[in-house]
Amino acid sequence: MKKYWTVFKMSWARELEYRFNFFLWRLRSFIGMTLLYFVWFSLTLKGKFAGFTEAELFTYVFGANILRSIIFGSQTRNIAEEINNGWFSRYLLMPINHFWFEFFRELAQRTLNFISSIFEVGIFILIAKPNFILEKNFSSLTFFFFSIILALFLYYLLSYLVSLVAFWSREAMGPRFLFEWLLEFSSGAYFPLSVFSEFLFFTLMSLPFAYLLYFPLSIYLEKMHNSELINFFALELIWIFVIAFITKYIWSKGLKRFTGEGI
Amino acid sequence: MIKKYLKLWKLLAILSAGSILSNRIDFVSYLFGKFIRFGFFFAFILAIFAHSNSLAGYGKYEVIFFFLTFNIVDTLGQLFFRGIYDFRNEVRLGNFDYTISKPVNALFFSLSRAVDLIDFIFLIPIVLIAIYVGFQIGHATIYNIFAYIILLFFGLFVILGIHIISAALIVWKTEAENAIWLYRESMTIGRFPPEIFSPKIKFLFTYFMPIIIIISIPAKAFLNMLNPVWILISFLYASLFLGFSVLIWRRGLRHYSSASS
Repeated sequence: MKKYWTVFKMSWARELEYRFNFFLWRLRSFIGMTLLYFVWFSLTLKGKFAGFTEAELFTYVFGANILRSIIFGSQTRNIAEEINNGWFSRYLLMPINHFWFEFFRELAQRTLNFISSIFEVGIFILIAKPNFILEKNFSSLTFFFFSIILALFLYYLLSYLVSLVAFWSREAMGPRFLFEWLLEFSSGAYFPLSVFSEFLFFTLMSLPFAYLLYFPLSIYLEKMHNSELINFFALELIWIFVIAFITKYIWSKGLKRFTGEGI
Repeated sequence: MIKKYLKLWKLLAILSAGSILSNRIDFVSYLFGKFIRFGFFFAFILAIFAHSNSLAGYGKYEVIFFFLTFNIVDTLGQLFFRGIYDFRNEVRLGNFDYTISKPVNALFFSLSRAVDLIDFIFLIPIVLIAIYVGFQIGHATIYNIFAYIILLFFGLFVILGIHIISAALIVWKTEAENAIWLYRESMTIGRFPPEIFSPKIKFLFTYFMPIIIIISIPAKAFLNMLNPVWILISFLYASLFLGFSVLIWRRGLRHYSSASS
């Protein structure tokens, strides 16, 4: 465990090395949040929108901004690049488990983004003084935190799996781009998925992406009945096990194909 | 001079197209990804109008027209100036040395070296949908269409200016890679009518990060909702902004410290 803690610390220091770039990166996120805030502000001027009050929609926007920072990461992008250029070979010589090595490397990036996003949302609330919901129900908060932990693992598994495409093809960035946009929308990063028709909503809920943001935020906003909650948690756990199994299988197959380019 | 650069652009475009088409998985994935991004936002706008009759006083087709204008301008920017996305690597690895030693304008070469065929293909259906939506709106005159096209050109000049400033920042401070991504994120402000924003935000995105000049002003001209004085303001703004960006580039270039020599 100590070695992974060292990986975390090194990655943390690396992220802080490029402070100007980090600032610009977070400013992007702030602009995205501002856009969505004003869209919902316009739509709720006359009252509720698609069953959401103004306070619920604003809470959704702020919550999505914070959760994106801790759940979504970009470190795993480098895995594909490292497999393609041969740098990946060095990990095979290290006394580490590559899966957990990358997990802790990305965790440092996520933690830094998380702290920054809380700061950004705080500033936004201070400036705009919007209505929002501060959940106090203990059971909702417990389920909410549990869903975040599951989402964190689910995202990492999906992201890691997509990067492993590089074992088979040098063209791994295109599939990654496709994956990221599919994930952004299907996870509910821009809007609650329930604004869509019932058919589209249930189609999206049967995919793993909806459990990354929409599901935790729906729990926080108490938009789920207990029976739905149990069903969706069960479905999320099934997805995690299935994707973990596929990732393990693809990893072992991919490793046999790895040619160690550049050695 | 212009003939030489047109010829060079054509050659770079052909080389770039060849490179894109040789990576078929990437080609299909990027193209499909762009359609997914477009399709989801389109579905979102339709979902908004399934629950509401208007957005900031605009009807469904008008809001869609703003969204399509955003897509047209954003895609044109990427189509022509895609080279900026690889510029940081060029500077960081020292390859920019080879660019400045070529007998062509280094800025032109750096921005135009990766003309994006995928964006060109993506643009065709977007323009066709915009024409269809234009007919649905119905009240655009020849003057409105002409003003729309002229203002799109002014918008493209501003986009060029933003790309030049981003390139200058990268030369100046190699880690400023996210400057161009900040512009891309800001462009999303143009997906919706500017009336949804507060006056302060509108001011900020009109003059400091001029997304409203790039996207909303042309769209409003088409919708016959624009005071003609904005055509003059846009022209002056685009000219001054482009001139300012070239000055920044020249200043930035003085800070270039070759990484390979």
